[in-house]
Amino acid sequence: MLCGIDLGSRSVKMVLTDTAGNIRLSRVFETVRFYREYGMRQQDGLMVDFATLGVGKVEEVVATGYGRNTIDIVGATVIPELKAHALGAIWQTGLSDFTLLDLGGQDSKVIKVRKKKMVDFATNDKCAASTGRYLENMANVLDITLEELSRYSENPVELNSTCAIFGESELIGRIVEGYGIAELAAGVNFTIYKRIKPMMTSLVSDTIVFTGGVALGQAIRTLIERELQREVVVPQYPQLNGAIGCIAYALEKRDQHAAGN
Amino acid sequence: MSRIGITTTVPVEIILAAGRIPVDLNNIFITDKDASKLVEAAEDAGYPRNICGWIKGLYSVVIESGDIDTVIAVTQGDCSNTHALMETFEMADIKTLPFAYPFDRDYDLLKLQMDKLIAALGTNWEAVASVTERLKSLRLKVAEIDRRTWQENTVSGWDNHLFQVSCSDFDGDVDAFEQRLDAFLEQNDTAAEYNENIRLGFIGVPPIFTDLYAYFEQMGARVVFNEVQRQFAMPNRVDDLVEQYRQYTYPYGVFGRIKDIQAEIEKRNLDGIIHYVQSFCFRQIEDMIFREKLDIPILTIEGDKPGRVDARTKLRIDSFLEMLK
Repeated sequence: MLCGIDLGSRSVKMVLTDTAGNIRLSRVFETVRFYREYGMRQQDGLMVDFATLGVGKVEEVVATGYGRNTIDIVGATVIPELKAHALGAIWQTGLSDFTLLDLGGQDSKVIKVRKKKMVDFATNDKCAASTGRYLENMANVLDITLEELSRYSENPVELNSTCAIFGESELIGRIVEGYGIAELAAGVNFTIYKRIKPMMTSLVSDTIVFTGGVALGQAIRTLIERELQREVVVPQYPQLNGAIGCIAYALEKRDQHAAGN
Repeated sequence: MSRIGITTTVPVEIILAAGRIPVDLNNIFITDKDASKLVEAAEDAGYPRNICGWIKGLYSVVIESGDIDTVIAVTQGDCSNTHALMETFEMADIKTLPFAYPFDRDYDLLKLQMDKLIAALGTNWEAVASVTERLKSLRLKVAEIDRRTWQENTVSGWDNHLFQVSCSDFDGDVDAFEQRLDAFLEQNDTAAEYNENIRLGFIGVPPIFTDLYAYFEQMGARVVFNEVQRQFAMPNRVDDLVEQYRQYTYPYGVFGRIKDIQAEIEKRNLDGIIHYVQSFCFRQIEDMIFREKLDIPILTIEGDKPGRVDARTKLRIDSFLEMLK
């Protein structure tokens, strides 16, 4: 089995495949829980307890996530996060020219891919107002689930907050003004679009591949399609894209190795 | 000799000619072992959180120094926050002398500014000329360190950075600084060549991060062009001092800087550029111009408070370097 791990800020994504790349198992853990229950600190880094995870014998581990030098999994090859995401999107969609938008727990990434190579990228910095964390906060304020929040994209209320935390008080102000859940939720989703739009505009392609936990919902996808007038492709496993990219990397290396022999 | 603070590079020849000791407040701030505390002290005094960290550091350096009673503040060509910095200095009984680089690079206006500074410090052009002559050998030696950085590949990006930024005040002691230069150059004669894969240019104001250059080198890249730092060192050899500060690119808008950067990208065979911007700085806007005008991959990184490079910025650097490979 090959194992791809994406250590994100909010969750850890793990994908296991056979050596032909068929997905056998995938899991998503809350980040803290993963480290607490399946990680053991050893002298040469973090040992992942595959036995407790119940995933059988793992031949090769490729990991990515928060800063290549801060991840130190024993026996794993670690690759940069943006590379993993680009590889994952190529592997999942088969496309060679596209712009990848990944909206995760605390990150938004935009990667321009040409001929299956990353040629430019932009990421959010110093602010989580365009990320899943913002959506979680807003769903809490509206007292609805993330799934429900992601259904609304029509008639958004105007929200201007530049901050994932202050956004709450702004939203409460709109609730007090008497707007309904549909308009409020659409407003929240539209704020995400407004925040990513400048990054998208400078790196846009005819096709946009949309991944990350946020891509599990429909509303933001609809908004991007409508506002940017571009085709949006959400691959089969948007949230697992980084981990799948790790698998794609492992397979690529195996192929090169085999060809070398 | 009494110490006189400067908020950025000014004609240091005039300060030295007046027999005063120049102190670049930025250098004192960023080399303080507790630089974050200096920022906090300014915030405690009432400086807003969402204002440049350098300005706050400069404020605290002077307030806490006890022996800097005068500050030459660059009111045009650097940063408009300096205006309020001067006003808060005045509230603390620190004397401030304004110095303005004319936006249009007008020779006469610049000379007038230098005349006024000469008068304010009680010196004359003859004395300034003799300091200019004295500094020539130092400037040449710093230029040699820069040349060895990109051409011989025997100097680290950080060492080059340090010697270049130090030219704003020559560490307050010209002779001692020259000895350090000589010692470095002599030791460097036998230094091994770097063999990194990626050659970077660093543009923008000096970084507030303390380990950025070390991180690049750890990741297989090296900074072989320090844009603004090199300008602080006055890389163009001209005899006329007014003309020297007219050719200095940093205070005069972005297009002159771009011409300089374009030439060095070619000359130094750069693979990519790091554009460093300071949080809350107007220069962040200029990023869009660099991206349009410079035909080379650019990574823009932002720093706020002094300290080590954060995990997010590392992640972005890793991906950028990976892309350049």
